[in-house]
Amino acid sequence: MFRPSLSLRGLSLIACSVLAFSMLSTTPANAELTIEITGAGANRIPVAIADFGGEPGSSRALTSVVRGDLEHSGLFRMIDTTGVAITETTSPAYADWKNRGADALAAGSIGPSGDGRQEARFRLYDVTRQAPLGGAAFVTSSAMLRAAGHRIADVIYEKLTGEPGVFSTRIAYVVKSGPALYELHIADSDGQNAQAALKSREPIISPTWSPDGTRLAYVSFENKKPVIYVHSLASGQRIVVANFKGSNSAPAWSPDGRKLAVTLSKDGGSQIFTINADGSGVQRLTTNSGINTEPFFAPDGQTIYFTSDRGGSPQIYRTSLNGGDVQRVTFEGSYNVSPRISADGKTMAFISRRENGFRLAVMDLASRQVQILTDSFKDESPSFAPNSRMILIATEIGGRGVLSAVSVDGRIKQRLSIPAGDVREPAWGPYLR
Amino acid sequence: MPARRLRCSSAISTVALLLAVLGAQQAHAGLFDDEEARRQVNDLSIKVNERVDTLSKAQIELLNQIQSLREDNAKLRGQLETLQYELESTKKRQQDFYVDLDGRLRKLETAGVAAADTAKPGEGEAPPADAASKKPAADPAAEAREYEAALTLFKANKLKDAANAFEAFAKTYPDSALTPNAYYWQGNALAAQRDCKRAIDAYRVVVNKWPQNPKAPDSLIGVASCQQELGDAKSAKTTLEAVLIKYPDSPAASTAKQRLKK
Amino acid sequence: MKRLIIPTLLALLVAGCSSTPDTAEQTGAPVDSRGANDGKIATVTAGNMDSRKLPPELTDPKNILSKRSVYFDYDKFDIKAEYKDLVAAHAKFLNNNRQFKMLIQGNTDERGSREYNLALGQKRADAIKKQLVLLGAREEQVESVSLGEEKPKNPGQNEAAWAENRRGDMLYSGEF
Repeated sequence: MFRPSLSLRGLSLIACSVLAFSMLSTTPANAELTIEITGAGANRIPVAIADFGGEPGSSRALTSVVRGDLEHSGLFRMIDTTGVAITETTSPAYADWKNRGADALAAGSIGPSGDGRQEARFRLYDVTRQAPLGGAAFVTSSAMLRAAGHRIADVIYEKLTGEPGVFSTRIAYVVKSGPALYELHIADSDGQNAQAALKSREPIISPTWSPDGTRLAYVSFENKKPVIYVHSLASGQRIVVANFKGSNSAPAWSPDGRKLAVTLSKDGGSQIFTINADGSGVQRLTTNSGINTEPFFAPDGQTIYFTSDRGGSPQIYRTSLNGGDVQRVTFEGSYNVSPRISADGKTMAFISRRENGFRLAVMDLASRQVQILTDSFKDESPSFAPNSRMILIATEIGGRGVLSAVSVDGRIKQRLSIPAGDVREPAWGPYLR
Repeated sequence: MPARRLRCSSAISTVALLLAVLGAQQAHAGLFDDEEARRQVNDLSIKVNERVDTLSKAQIELLNQIQSLREDNAKLRGQLETLQYELESTKKRQQDFYVDLDGRLRKLETAGVAAADTAKPGEGEAPPADAASKKPAADPAAEAREYEAALTLFKANKLKDAANAFEAFAKTYPDSALTPNAYYWQGNALAAQRDCKRAIDAYRVVVNKWPQNPKAPDSLIGVASCQQELGDAKSAKTTLEAVLIKYPDSPAASTAKQRLKK
Repeated sequence: MKRLIIPTLLALLVAGCSSTPDTAEQTGAPVDSRGANDGKIATVTAGNMDSRKLPPELTDPKNILSKRSVYFDYDKFDIKAEYKDLVAAHAKFLNNNRQFKMLIQGNTDERGSREYNLALGQKRADAIKKQLVLLGAREEQVESVSLGEEKPKNPGQNEAAWAENRRGDMLYSGEF
């Protein structure tokens, strides 16, 4: 049913380091994203998450985060646990759980850790094979209870699917509320705990996470023209990375976090350059006189994918940093833009115009096979989850911008929206380290 | 007439120069009075401005032309990119089809050869020692695997490796029913690398050793192509004619006919 | 009016010579009155002018210079014939007023990728800039930038709105 875990045998407690997340400098935003699943996997794994033992308030919060995460992933079905009071120290009654239809069971508790914080512990069991699958413990402050829940959900996800979970990651996106208020938000992957990192009267676009998750690069129009900034989330400190004559846009981090690929118009046209993250060392990469933009580093750090109209219509090309040949990558259709490569290097997500709609597409880079994943009208700005499994995009429903997470196979679709605002420009952050 | 475009600096310097000249002339001969000077300056400035105007217009016209050439160029580039891609895909697909077809034909041919072997009168009573010395040495499964592996290399366009693999196969299994095929494919792999001389050698082995094998006429076609490639049109013609004479009913004969027409 | 600038300049130059014009020519007029009724020369001599205060000729609705927008066809970047005079007039103004700087903002409609649209808007702004420079503006006077699809003049989602948003705006110091 699911892959057995070899890494954790019995109850090996991983004393995880304190979940001290960097607090954002600005005030928390009121509007929070709500998730709605619009498509789910065909065979969802039935899982029972027993209510965590301990103080009722904390326990309820923790349990709901774990259940919510797993359910929203579209890969799991929650089995009712009403009337059961068990913790990680209880021997599971496998037969009972089997009767309830569960393939896996998690049970745990939350309690004081002895240093004023709280410790959440849990164990996971394979009900079918009647065997423990491991467990973990996380120490956390009361304020960061949700984070502990995401960590637990990540462990369960990984044990049951064999792929790392991304519930602990964060996402960035831009909310436009009213004609002249733009906010760059950072939220948990489930849209909760949203905080504004930047508020502006002028547009903010193209946010992108540094590989270590501490900084965001983006384009702000606060100077009446596009300028690229790098923003340290913990301190709120901002550096202007590119403010050359003309437009400065489309930042993309190199995998080592030292450089950015950017689009500058300072030499005429739109050309791709690389620049150090502190704004020094500008080097031109493309020489074609037309449009060259939307650079994206492949995980090898040597190949750059980008969009160019050198062939008469916008298409995706790739080139090597050491100035090799430029190869065209997309051929189907007359508008293929916004290339993003998954962390495993296997898949390219992009936006393709088909039948007058802008749709999310993926290309298997080995076979060059293309698959259109949505039937939307206005998909934009794809961004891969760090486990290469989901793609976050901006799309429009009823004239309002919403975010949508789509699995690479197109089966699972979640929608994230803010009741009052226009949400756009999503960027899925890296794993937390 | 729209507003006059002017290049102040050039106009002024021209005028200044003119004034200097005018001044000198005035001092010398007093030929021009002020009225005349002003009139000339005015005329000149109108001329200069007209010229700047014309130049600007011409430059804009050029700019537009360059822009439209760029667009045309981009379209052509796009078409070229697409054609190249399509050609590549077609080539690959064709190779896949060819290899697939060959695989299926081979099954039929090996079956046919085996049947012919057993059906030959007199040979059915061949000395058992001879048969024993040959057959058990070859492991049919390994043989098929090795041949298949070589073919896979060819399919993957690893031509050099494929040529070597077919050559090795032919050496290891000199009497296999697949050996003529191996030489034939070795020839193809070499020809695809433009190693025409060695390709001809490989094709010739098929023609000389297995003149009745269905691959023999195909090999001759290969020889002819290589000769053509080497610039020896005369030999190529002779070879194609030989196909018509020796194998008039083979599919290769119609290929030969077509080529001879050219 | 515009025809008068050259004669004015010439008149000034001529006035610098020993001979003094005493009668107005057909296309000429006395120097002092010209300087007063035509803002151009006044601004040249104004030296450090307050950049926030634009001269009336840039804002007078009857003056072509009060118009700042050039509209483009879908997926096009060439300046249509109907805007050639407008661009030429601004080029001339920049030529005559070297202390003025201009920011050209290129815009696109909302269809397609934001970053690609930013590049498209840049292409439009660049086209206007090239034309201005060819017609007498100085390279360093003009900066072309793009707002892409981010600042639509008309937020509608129909062809009329899109046509309004495929645009380049010429803004002077103080207007941006």
